[in-house]
Amino acid sequence: MSIRKGLNYRYGIHVPDMKALTSDLNIEVMPAPEKVFISLSQHIGAPASPVVGIGDKVKKGQLIGESVGAISANVYSSVSGEVVDVIDIVNALGQKQKHVVIKNDNLNDEFLFDDLKDFSAKSLVERIALAGIVGLGGAGFPTAVKLSPKSQLDTLVINGAECEPYLNCDNRLMIERTEDVYKGIIYVKRALGLEKVVVGIEANKPEAIKAFEAYPDLDVVVLKKQYPMGSEKHLIYCTTGRKVPLGKMPFDVGCCVQNVKTMIACFEAIEKNKPLTEIVMTVSGNGINSPKNLKVAIGTPFKYIVDYCGGFKDDVVKLVAGGPMMGKALSGLNHFARKTDSGLLVLSKGEAVLEEPTPCINCGRCAKNCPMRLMPMYIENFALCGKYEEAEKYGAMNCIECGSCAFNCPARRSLVQSISMAKGKIKEMRTNGRK
Amino acid sequence: MAENKLFGFSASPHVKGKRTTKWIMANVCIALLPTTVMGIIYFGLYALLIVGLSVVSAVCAEVIYKLITKKTLSCIVKEFDFTSVVTGLLVGLSIGVNYPWYAPILGSIFAIIVVKMLFGGTGKNLVNPAIAGRIFIFISFQTVVGGWVLPMSGDVITGATTLGGLYSGSDVSTINLLNLLLGNNLAGCIGETCKIALLCGAIYLAILKIIDIRLPLIYVAVTGLTTVCLYGFNFAYFLPSILSGGLILGAFFMATDYVTTPNTFIGNLIYFTALGIVTAVLRFATHMETVSFAILLLNLFVPLIDKHVINRPFGYKKPIKGDK
Repeated sequence: MSIRKGLNYRYGIHVPDMKALTSDLNIEVMPAPEKVFISLSQHIGAPASPVVGIGDKVKKGQLIGESVGAISANVYSSVSGEVVDVIDIVNALGQKQKHVVIKNDNLNDEFLFDDLKDFSAKSLVERIALAGIVGLGGAGFPTAVKLSPKSQLDTLVINGAECEPYLNCDNRLMIERTEDVYKGIIYVKRALGLEKVVVGIEANKPEAIKAFEAYPDLDVVVLKKQYPMGSEKHLIYCTTGRKVPLGKMPFDVGCCVQNVKTMIACFEAIEKNKPLTEIVMTVSGNGINSPKNLKVAIGTPFKYIVDYCGGFKDDVVKLVAGGPMMGKALSGLNHFARKTDSGLLVLSKGEAVLEEPTPCINCGRCAKNCPMRLMPMYIENFALCGKYEEAEKYGAMNCIECGSCAFNCPARRSLVQSISMAKGKIKEMRTNGRK
Repeated sequence: MAENKLFGFSASPHVKGKRTTKWIMANVCIALLPTTVMGIIYFGLYALLIVGLSVVSAVCAEVIYKLITKKTLSCIVKEFDFTSVVTGLLVGLSIGVNYPWYAPILGSIFAIIVVKMLFGGTGKNLVNPAIAGRIFIFISFQTVVGGWVLPMSGDVITGATTLGGLYSGSDVSTINLLNLLLGNNLAGCIGETCKIALLCGAIYLAILKIIDIRLPLIYVAVTGLTTVCLYGFNFAYFLPSILSGGLILGAFFMATDYVTTPNTFIGNLIYFTALGIVTAVLRFATHMETVSFAILLLNLFVPLIDKHVINRPFGYKKPIKGDK
């Protein structure tokens, strides 16, 4: 198969992509910091339980948190050294999470898995589960669970859209490590037992698209540059033409969506026998002195990363973990790199918008742009006056929180915030109703 | 750099589009400038006085209302979003120069206080304040002042205007289309005579994507076609019915007001088509300009349209009957 154009999807927005800041910079390996703070809950599901105590010596790549329950993931040490503390730290979402603090002894002793004996689907999935790999695109859903679907799938969709502005880590990985991505895809394909693979890449990454030309067995789909092209449902529609029904998951239409970074992690776990201890992230924004694409050890303090990138400029107003559309604002630098982080943005005054919401003028722009075709203004309205049943009727639960509505809102309403609150309340109501 | 510095904190998204309510409303004002200038050229400095008074009183009315409701001055300045300027401008542009100077003041105050602020301010009004203000003045003063003023000359036409003549069955072929387009020999309000200036403003708004140009075009087209149908499929009525009266001003600047239009494209299609039909039928029945009345009437149906016409979510499947 070859390179083809993806289907058009009419609804979505055009965000200035700001990728030029880092799009041509090679991924740099950042030296590990003196101390790492590794969260035991870097994924969706139950937090891992610590298997090391204060004073234990650990190697790089040694298990420090064991997965508990069906949906959970292992956590590995990203440096060699000594465990100095296991403490609760408030994360970007405001939740308290256990972090294992490891002091780096700079010996770089590395622990590796044994070579895989066979490459059967079962042992591949087991290895991916063992390596603690989660969806690195941002959601953090344990990959092994995704690779053990209940029904037979027919298409593996690789998400190389990277529609978030500023971020370039997927782009750089596709350019610099095409071969590794390809091998990862082949392994995951085998694990799922399917034949068809489509790779969706947005048209603003010509280099990455070119890099994949060398692999004729991949079906590379060039997607229109539009936000949110990297959303699972829209990616599936634009690459395969299938519509995921409301309230259903990609596997209901026979698709499995995996991020490029996850493919690299799978490749490393299977071929290099390495657990997931490092991530690639883009440090960008007009507020930082030298934007970079970095490979960092999980648990690296953001302060260390900022210092490595030359520190802040003077007019910094906002710090964001992740992309500017869906990432989380950080109140300070007291946060640490997690598996799912794909960016650290330092936004200056001209970029970040910190404006008070004004009254809705009913312009309908939010509904016009909503990629899920919802009516954000009604959902917000009902959410703000506490009528969550009504909000649910207008499809609050189908919101993917992409931020297209709030991006274009001339009244600067915090639509995503209200809708997300409504979603939380509706979920609460559903669980209470079931009891 | 201090590491304990607190950064701005808010929910995503952290970058936003450039346009704000203020920006949109300021651009609507800019789009109305050509027709204001043409109005002043056609009708003299008294037109400037009327438009000026109406804008100033609209802004003052809003500020005073907010002061009464105990808002601080700095808050009022921060909240100022040009909506009252647009309202005042439209009220001033939609009356003639034969009105007394206090007419636009009364109209603007009525529009801002009664129609907008009492319903909750920007974005909460049920009907378009400018339309309501215009109708308020029209009903209060039209019989007193009688008729419309001809541009340049200052003569008041007490009989039928071009529009009135058109609908009461005078010969269509005598109407000069160029005259209608330029409006230099057309009796009417300050802002509605020069269609070229109005269309320039409309194109400006369309280029900035503030209005969806298709919708007002549907409105004027439906009005024209309905008129054609009402006069026994005489297509000579098509252009004159569009270009006479306040249809262009109403369609492109008043009917497209965000607050009082439906939120979905389908809803808007229904709304603007209905506007066209209602306008033409009312004109046919009354031989008067009815654009503002049609808009006022249809404004009241907007909540109904919005309740029933909503987008179908992506991936929505029609529930099969009998399937629970």
